[in-house]
Amino acid sequence: MSDNKMMSTDPASVVYQRCTIDLATGRADFAAVPCRNLEDVLGGFGRSFQILAERDIACAYSPKNPLILNSGLLTGTSVMTGMRSYFSGYSPLKQSGTGRPGAMWSTGSGNFGNKFKWTGLDEVIFENRSETPVYAVLREGANGPEVELKPAGHLIGLTGHAKIMALAAEYPDAHFAAIGPAGENWQNNYMGAVVMSTDNELKSGEPKSRFAGRGGMGSLMGYKNLLAIVAQSPDKLQKITPEIRDVNRDILKSGGSARFQPTSQGGGGGTWANIEVLQVFHAVPLNNFRPKGCDNVERLFRDEVEKEFDVATEACHRCGIRCHNNLFHKNEDGSRGKLAAKFDFEPLILFGSNLGVHNPKEVCDLIHRCDLLGMDAISLGTTIAYLLDYNERHPEAPVLNGAVFGDYDKIAALIDGAGRGLYPELGRGVKRLSEALGETAYAMHVKGLELPAYLPDTNPGYIFAIAGGHMSMGTHMMLAKEGKHSLDEWVQAITTGGLLQVGYDMIGLCKFVGVGIGHDLIVRAVKEAAGLEIASADIVASVRRAYLRGLALELRQGFHEHEEYTLPSQVMDDPNHKVTLPKFITHDFLAQLRERVWSIFKPEMEGLLPVLEG
Amino acid sequence: MQIRIKLYASLRWKLFEEAEWECTPGQKIASIVEQLGLPRNDVGTVLVNGLHAAWDEMVQDGDVLSLLPRMGGG
Repeated sequence: MSDNKMMSTDPASVVYQRCTIDLATGRADFAAVPCRNLEDVLGGFGRSFQILAERDIACAYSPKNPLILNSGLLTGTSVMTGMRSYFSGYSPLKQSGTGRPGAMWSTGSGNFGNKFKWTGLDEVIFENRSETPVYAVLREGANGPEVELKPAGHLIGLTGHAKIMALAAEYPDAHFAAIGPAGENWQNNYMGAVVMSTDNELKSGEPKSRFAGRGGMGSLMGYKNLLAIVAQSPDKLQKITPEIRDVNRDILKSGGSARFQPTSQGGGGGTWANIEVLQVFHAVPLNNFRPKGCDNVERLFRDEVEKEFDVATEACHRCGIRCHNNLFHKNEDGSRGKLAAKFDFEPLILFGSNLGVHNPKEVCDLIHRCDLLGMDAISLGTTIAYLLDYNERHPEAPVLNGAVFGDYDKIAALIDGAGRGLYPELGRGVKRLSEALGETAYAMHVKGLELPAYLPDTNPGYIFAIAGGHMSMGTHMMLAKEGKHSLDEWVQAITTGGLLQVGYDMIGLCKFVGVGIGHDLIVRAVKEAAGLEIASADIVASVRRAYLRGLALELRQGFHEHEEYTLPSQVMDDPNHKVTLPKFITHDFLAQLRERVWSIFKPEMEGLLPVLEG
Repeated sequence: MQIRIKLYASLRWKLFEEAEWECTPGQKIASIVEQLGLPRNDVGTVLVNGLHAAWDEMVQDGDVLSLLPRMGGG
């Protein structure tokens, strides 16, 4: 890793740089750590989960629960999309029926990951918690990486973006990871995101941040009284060799990333296009994941939105995929005005049709509010959808402010209140809310993590996702794409290709590269950018072990292998006949799926977790 | 014989939304997509009369052939 170029198949010969920061004392310890296995070498959650597995954590908000920041093997290299940083810890949101927290990671791009890697560090473990609000400065010093904790009182209450801009004024050559007000209100908000800066954001002053949203890693950061992390280093752009140039060209040309590229490049225009495709099957989430067959989502199609907004395609640092679709207001003279929001499929649906809001301007505003307050759009949007559903079912006794579907002003107030810690009912997620209200059938979560904007009616693979429904089990579009709905096909998908999606959350690349983790492109990228020759089969085997370790960790934390590996019961008990895709998920189907998948996974899970002392 | 072709999202933006299309009896879907000038990689999902279909399936007179771009992401 850091300053370590070699050709090797022995993981122990690869050394990574760790800093352990005790937030209670301010002490920082540096260590060069030999890799135990290929998961350590690849990095990301493959490494952090091994650290988490060594701890017996009964409560997420405990000093013993670490917050781990790390990078992937290709973070900070010149391989396209190699910018990812990872935040891992036991999640305040993901919780088993026993009350124990689940291990989680969350990741994002932007330029923070690069800068972090260029400080000379591969991993920072934040231990304990600070008595007072602080931010951490990680920088490259004359004799190696340096760390400093500084008072953060001046940052309290600022949005994530405002924190970033305040720190940017003080630290040139740096990028930033911060929390918003949601993370500061960690007692009442378990879905705080980590907000990461981008070059576009620092240059324009506009809130074009990236988010590591899932699982409440921003709330864990808030609990630790760590309001921001500064990664300061000169840019160390790796030379683009002819071989890396070819890898980057193939990332753009291989087809996997084409669907995310701009329409002007001949691409599909990003994830936004999913709305129109899913609408063919009436499978776009509407009013808490319950499409009605005449769904009024066409107003959110790209060409409709372009009538009202100026849509600009932008990119993370040096990324040719250019997947961001930023919407700007149009000035009266037709010129580009202020940034309205970043339109991607998830927030667009979860703050749009799934809340019964169809006016693009209103959807933009709701997304923008969530982003500024620093919350996970998936968790918040899905929790609010449940609340609106509940209120529609109980007009005689609505809860909170009585909002119902389409009630834009009241929904905006709910977002603001959740982000400021005023609505713990929302901020603690849909599992807890639905249990408190006694109606869990239509609470859209699995294992305490809210579902993304793909109907559970179309994806039994959600139950085996380990860190968010669609980012840790790549089966969320299988039914719509391929029409497959037999038990054999789903067992095959979950136990082979589906789980390998998490490989991207190890190596430092973005999933939008769009090829399988064992693809020759990945092998070549690792060889050329990291100097390591690792066979495709070894990468695949390592990713599989890392996933299975995560699954084993879920069971150890008390997730019940039958009762909690299931979908919201509405899916089985009240199938939605408006969706034109096959309806195949029954209680019996899920029972057989669990039995067959566990029979494959469990023997492989043996020995993947360390035995805890005591 | 005649079929109806429906295109969605990026495919619609490139060509058309909906059109009647003349084809020969027994013509396979792959051949029709080629006639349209669409790279096969651009098409992620093929439906005939609303049901998933394979590239080598043949269309019948009066069928509705829907072509969807590749989907993905989060």
